[in-house]
Amino acid sequence: MEAVTLVHFLGTALGLLGIYLAFRVGRKRVVPLSTEETVSVGHIRFSPATLWKLLAFAALVAVPVLTMVIANYHTFEGIHEVEACGRCHVMRPMITDMKDPASTTLAARHFRNGWIPQDQCYACHSDYGLAGNNAAKAEGFRHLARYTTGTYQEPIAFRGRFDNQNCLKCHRGTPLFEAVKSHQTVRPLLEEKAMLCLNCHGQPHPTSAARTPGSPDYARLQELRK
Amino acid sequence: MSELRAECMAAIVAFVISIGYTLSPGPYWMGAFTFIAQPLFVLVMASYLVKVLRELRGRRVL
Repeated sequence: MEAVTLVHFLGTALGLLGIYLAFRVGRKRVVPLSTEETVSVGHIRFSPATLWKLLAFAALVAVPVLTMVIANYHTFEGIHEVEACGRCHVMRPMITDMKDPASTTLAARHFRNGWIPQDQCYACHSDYGLAGNNAAKAEGFRHLARYTTGTYQEPIAFRGRFDNQNCLKCHRGTPLFEAVKSHQTVRPLLEEKAMLCLNCHGQPHPTSAARTPGSPDYARLQELRK
Repeated sequence: MSELRAECMAAIVAFVISIGYTLSPGPYWMGAFTFIAQPLFVLVMASYLVKVLRELRGRRVL
């Protein structure tokens, strides 16, 4: 069974179990429950009051904790997939362009040539957003809040500075990279982030102008390719 | 222990959102899970634990 299917199954099962338990606990009054009668659950006997307390613990603590663990696993594993990025329409231009065989952007060239076999967005953007460190995750939650409340403007702009390490982690040390003389010249600048790989290697994604609503390219870039 | 009706109602809302997010992990369900369901779960657990502690103190167990 694939991890995604398992997460769907577990997440739904836990949610339904939680609803059932919370419904049962919530509609019963504990005060009149007897502590002398017994209720059997399998081979174990409880008083109704004890059983209610155990169910309350399961409904309000144990199952919610498990549900949050599963859902957060779902979040932090799911964000590695290109499809997860494409679910926000502001990201669709990047993905449409990446999968466009005629595009010359860096992302499209990496995709077309199979340089990154899977999770292409995450491979180059693993240091920020929900996939990054704690500060980056906080920033990712800000993005989510802005998107879901509609408090953003298109075209979206990257606030930070792209980290060269995202490129160098794959390219550093490869014969092709090392054979280029200018790479040796600028290496200290690249390592210190005083110079960006993008300064020489061009546009990574469609331009802001192309991603602006109303531009001739906007509608085409919103059509997500399979 | 005092009644837990409000906690159960809040937990049911949070569970419904969690199921929605699990089955359809789009940005709106993700936002609802992150900003509504998770805080609700935390509030529910905190409220439950406060009531348990109050009862234990009332019975002089703690």
